[in-house]
Amino acid sequence: MHPPLQTLQVNGVVKNFGNRRAVNGVSFSLSSGEVLGLLGPNGSGKSTLMKMIVGVLKPDMGNIQVLGVDVGTDPVSVKRMVGFVPESPRLYEFLTGIEYLDFIADVHALDSSTKRERIPEFLKALDLEGRENELINGYSQGMKQKLAIIAGLLHRPRILVLDEPLNALDPRSARIVKDLIHKLRDDGVPTIFSTHVLEIADAICDRIVIMYEGNVLAEGTTQDLRSKAGTRGSTLEEVFLKLTGTADTHEIVEALSR
Amino acid sequence: MKLRSVYRLAIVLTKSQMRGSQRPKFMRRLFDDPRIILIADVAIVLGFGLLGYRFLSLGYLADFRAMINSTILNALVGVPTAIAFAVIVFGVLYEISQPVQSLSTDLVNWLPISPSEYVAGSIVSESYIYSLMLSLFLGVLLGPALYFGMSGVWVATALMAVTSLFIGSCVVEFLDTLTNRISSSFYKKSGRSGIAFRLAMTIFVLAFVQLMFSGQIAAYVLQSIVRTVTVAWFVPVIWPSVAVVSTSQGNAFSSLSFASLSLGFFFALFGLAVEFRTRFWVPVPVSIKLTSRPYVPGKVESRLPGFGAVESAIFRKDLRSLVRRREMARFLAIPFVLAISMSLPLFSIGGTSMAGGPDFVAFMPLYLMPIAIFCGLMAMTSIGQEGSAVWNLYAIPILPRQLMKAKLIMPISLGVVFSTVLIGILNFILKVPLPMFVVLVVLGAIVAFEEAALGLYFGFKFPDFRESVRARFVSVWGSMFGMVTCVAVALITAVPIFLNLLIFHDLIIEMTIVSLVIGVVVFVLALKLAERQAGILLEYIRV
Repeated sequence: MHPPLQTLQVNGVVKNFGNRRAVNGVSFSLSSGEVLGLLGPNGSGKSTLMKMIVGVLKPDMGNIQVLGVDVGTDPVSVKRMVGFVPESPRLYEFLTGIEYLDFIADVHALDSSTKRERIPEFLKALDLEGRENELINGYSQGMKQKLAIIAGLLHRPRILVLDEPLNALDPRSARIVKDLIHKLRDDGVPTIFSTHVLEIADAICDRIVIMYEGNVLAEGTTQDLRSKAGTRGSTLEEVFLKLTGTADTHEIVEALSR
Repeated sequence: MKLRSVYRLAIVLTKSQMRGSQRPKFMRRLFDDPRIILIADVAIVLGFGLLGYRFLSLGYLADFRAMINSTILNALVGVPTAIAFAVIVFGVLYEISQPVQSLSTDLVNWLPISPSEYVAGSIVSESYIYSLMLSLFLGVLLGPALYFGMSGVWVATALMAVTSLFIGSCVVEFLDTLTNRISSSFYKKSGRSGIAFRLAMTIFVLAFVQLMFSGQIAAYVLQSIVRTVTVAWFVPVIWPSVAVVSTSQGNAFSSLSFASLSLGFFFALFGLAVEFRTRFWVPVPVSIKLTSRPYVPGKVESRLPGFGAVESAIFRKDLRSLVRRREMARFLAIPFVLAISMSLPLFSIGGTSMAGGPDFVAFMPLYLMPIAIFCGLMAMTSIGQEGSAVWNLYAIPILPRQLMKAKLIMPISLGVVFSTVLIGILNFILKVPLPMFVVLVVLGAIVAFEEAALGLYFGFKFPDFRESVRARFVSVWGSMFGMVTCVAVALITAVPIFLNLLIFHDLIIEMTIVSLVIGVVVFVLALKLAERQAGILLEYIRV
């Protein structure tokens, strides 16, 4: 049996912002058709790491390979293969939804017939049909999030990088996005995504990486993590809190409720 | 109304406006605290007052006593009305340049602050900021007023000017609420035509304001205020000035009446502003539907000739940004303002035909400066205007060369159109001879190309992606370096033409070719630099 093809390889990546180290020598890999969840408290380096994977930020040390292409050497080729949805995406507010998607399709060199087929299909799936001719500055946060997700998926990327993709989404759209991630996994498209909602991570991730203060604290399936934390049978939330050393919340709650 | 809340709010609003302004950093820090502004106000009034008094006491201007006396009296009468107009005009300009997002996410919208507290805080904050301008006026007038025995009139002016300052601030606050409300309803209904209307109105207001503050027109306006005061006493904004006139005439009853009316007018405006703020508390960004037509994807043929799909897509996006974003309208107003400003001195030349010669040499910078400034500024700001949405450019597969080409199209095309219109105006006023007309057409186009490329270099090198409190698009230093370079390069390109006009006289074709070569060399070099800088910018995101 052949080992699964490594689509993403992160090797000893370091990123500093001034004197603060945001990512500290992180290494992991992602196989074809795998869904990897990045978990960690706020400021643990998840978003910084994701931005480096898609070539938006440059690592200070280490390297990242996406489908055999080095992000540092050829970021443009990587961007052609990756679908990226950032945390709280800022879109061009003076464009209409459809103009924004048309813009994204053009820069990914999609032809007219592909655009005609895919854009209305995505708009319909994520309940944006009928609102596509309105300026984005009138959209709600959830609608903007949906638009960013469509933009990330429009060119049929070979790897998905989603930073808190389910933020502000209504339950139906969140379900559609989750199902889409499953469908793409079945088609061999790997996904790396971050979330604070541990139930979602538990439900759709094949493997989880827990980050804390820029370091990888633990990595593996949810079962592996439970055994590492010595909390067999407990929820992922309890595992997460124990591993990140933030489990002792009782005193804080007491103080806040005084 | 809790005065403490008003005071705290006024401080927060003042700080945010001062920090968002384009003033140098030391100025922003110095005037960060409203208490320092108040101390500075007193220092300016006393300092300038003592200096003016001392200067007049030396007796150098004894021969002009009568003229200075009447000028000072005019100024004392005009200041209260002028200050109200100045506050309104600057307030409107500030509102125009504020991005809509920062309006809708105003913190006070969800804090326990009453509408009257907010309005009072906003008026006090506005008054703090413009008080420096008022202090300067009052300080300059204090010395002569004391010297000529008009100290009573000066005190009346000071009191009425402060009332006018509050009136002006109140009008700005009222207009702010009103325009947000009207524009929300208007754009929602009218879609695309509403956007076009807003653009035209914004350009008109900006051009009007700019011209109002040009030297000749400002002097005319000040004289008009003084003339108008006696005949238009029924106009409320003029009441503070009428009170000053009455004081100068020794008419205490009239003076007190108009002073009371001025205060009454302020309180009426305050009530109206509170009423509007209560009714239209939160300016909500509206959903503007631009079309109901079904989606038709752009075709490959719709790409601009010589440009790829990526460049064409970015150009289309930038064009939409230019006509749809409120804070972009100021750039479209520039050609109008520059064209009118340029035409005024030309009219004073006399509308006679120019055969080409020394007069034409003096006139050439008047023609080239607007093109250099407009193209340079359009290009310089084209990168920073991406704002926080710039991550889109980092996430898409785009090469530095493609980004540079895409951003070059707009300033060049608008610059060439602008230079053609300028030549048209020029020909209308001066009846330019045909050979010179052709030279100017070529020169205008060359300058448009090279300035666009140079501006892009500075735009890539010094972008400012911040959108709050006020979008700048290019850093202060970047715009200063960029503007100086653009103007200098435009003049250098025209040197061969100058030489022909002054020395050679009959080498116009040869000298035009030399100018063309200089332009091409500058254009190519600037493009290389801009592409290199675009590569550095695209290496990693900075926001």
